[in-house]
Amino acid sequence: MGGAERSARKRKQAQQRNAGARAVSQARGGGGNRRTIVAVVAVVVLAAVVIGGVIWTNSSKNSTEGQSITPQTASAALDTPDERQGATVVSGKADAKVKLDIYADFLCPYCGQLQQSFGQAIEDQIAAGTVQVTYHMIPLLNDRSDPPGYSMDSANAALCAADQGKFTSYHDSLFKSQPEEGQRGYDKTQLIKLGTDLGITSQDFTTCVNNSTYDSQLSDALTKISADPTFQGTPTILHNGQSVNWTDPNWLNNLVSQA
Amino acid sequence: MFRPSQAVLDVVGTLVRLGLAAVWLVSGSIKISDTGQTYLAVKAYDVLPGGLVHPVATALPLLELALGVLLLVGLVTRIAAVASAVLLVVFIAGVAQSWARGLTIDCGCFGGGGQVADGQTQYPQEIARDVGFLVLAGWLIVRSRTRLALDGWLGAGSARGDYVTEAERT
Repeated sequence: MGGAERSARKRKQAQQRNAGARAVSQARGGGGNRRTIVAVVAVVVLAAVVIGGVIWTNSSKNSTEGQSITPQTASAALDTPDERQGATVVSGKADAKVKLDIYADFLCPYCGQLQQSFGQAIEDQIAAGTVQVTYHMIPLLNDRSDPPGYSMDSANAALCAADQGKFTSYHDSLFKSQPEEGQRGYDKTQLIKLGTDLGITSQDFTTCVNNSTYDSQLSDALTKISADPTFQGTPTILHNGQSVNWTDPNWLNNLVSQA
Repeated sequence: MFRPSQAVLDVVGTLVRLGLAAVWLVSGSIKISDTGQTYLAVKAYDVLPGGLVHPVATALPLLELALGVLLLVGLVTRIAAVASAVLLVVFIAGVAQSWARGLTIDCGCFGGGGQVADGQTQYPQEIARDVGFLVLAGWLIVRSRTRLALDGWLGAGSARGDYVTEAERT
C-alpha cells in the first residue's frame, strides 16, 4: 500500500466521520442554521404583525383625520338669529301645536339613527309650523371618543353655529358624518371648517368654537339632566314632559294628528 | 394505575396548544377588526389612566395575535404559554375588580365590551371561561412537548428538556 493511497483512505474516513457527526447532530434536531433561519423568520413575522397592526389600528381609528365634514343643507326657515337659548336651541314657531324636547349627543349612535330616520320629517313639521323643537345637546359621551372631548366640542360648536343662525344645517351635517364611538371625532379646526362651508363668515364663530364658550353651560345641563330619574340617556324625546317611543315609525304623525 | 403513554400525552398537548392558539387568534382578530369598540372595552374597566387606554387598546389585540401565531406553529411553546397565563391572570383580575366594584360592564373578551345594563353582567361565566383557558396554558407550561410543532422540529430548548426527562423516566 503506497503512502498516497493510505492518505487518501484517511481522508475518506475523516469525511465519513464528519458526515456521521452531521447526521447525529441533525437527528438530535440540531442544525444551527435551521434554528437561525426559523428565529429570523419568526422575528420578522412578529415584527410585521406588530408594525402592521399598529398602522392598521391607527388608520382605522383616525379615519376622520384630514376629512371635511360634508355640509348638509336645511331650510332657512328653520333657523332664527336668536334661536339659541342658554345651552339649548329652539327651532319652530312658538304657537306650534306640538312641542318637543330632543336630548341628543353628536357621538351617540342611536341619536344618529334617530336623525337619519326622522330628522327630515321633524324638520318638515317644523317648517309647516306644527312642531316646535327644543334641541338639548347633552355631552354624555364626552369620554367615549379617542381622544376624548368630541361630544363637548361638537355641542359647543353647534351652539356657536346657532348664534350665527345656522344651527339646523350644522346639526344635520354633524350627524350625517357622525364619527364612531371609541374612535377619533372631529377637532376644532374641522368644526370651524364646517361652519365656514355652511356660509358662516363671522369671526365670532371661530372664537366661540376655539374658546369652548358654552362648555360650562353644557356641563351644567348634563349634570342637571343626569340627576333626573326619568332621563334614560340619549336620545330622549319628550312631549309635554312624557317620553316618546320613537321606535314606533308613526310616532311623529300620531303626535301631530292628535294635537 | 393507568398512565397514558407519552404518545397520547403528545396528542393531547397538541390539541391543547391548537385550542389555545385558536382562542387567541379569534379574540385578537375580533378585537383588531373593531378598534373603536376595543378602546371602549378597555376604558370600561376603569383601571388605566386616560393616557394608557389608547396604547393598551392598540397593543392588546396584537399581543393576542402574536401569541396565537406562536402557539399555532408551536414555536417557543412554553414561553408563549407562560405569557398566555400571565395575560389570562390579568384578564381575570380585571373582570374580578369590575365585579367587586359593582361596575356593569361586558368583559369584551371576544369583541363587544363596554358598559352594559344592570343584570346584563356575566362575571362568573367570564371568569370561569378564562380559568378554563388558564388550564390549557398550564398544561403547556408543565408539558410543552407537542406534535406538529416547530419546537420539536428544531429540538429547541424547552422541548429537548422534555425528551431528557422522559428518557430518564423510562
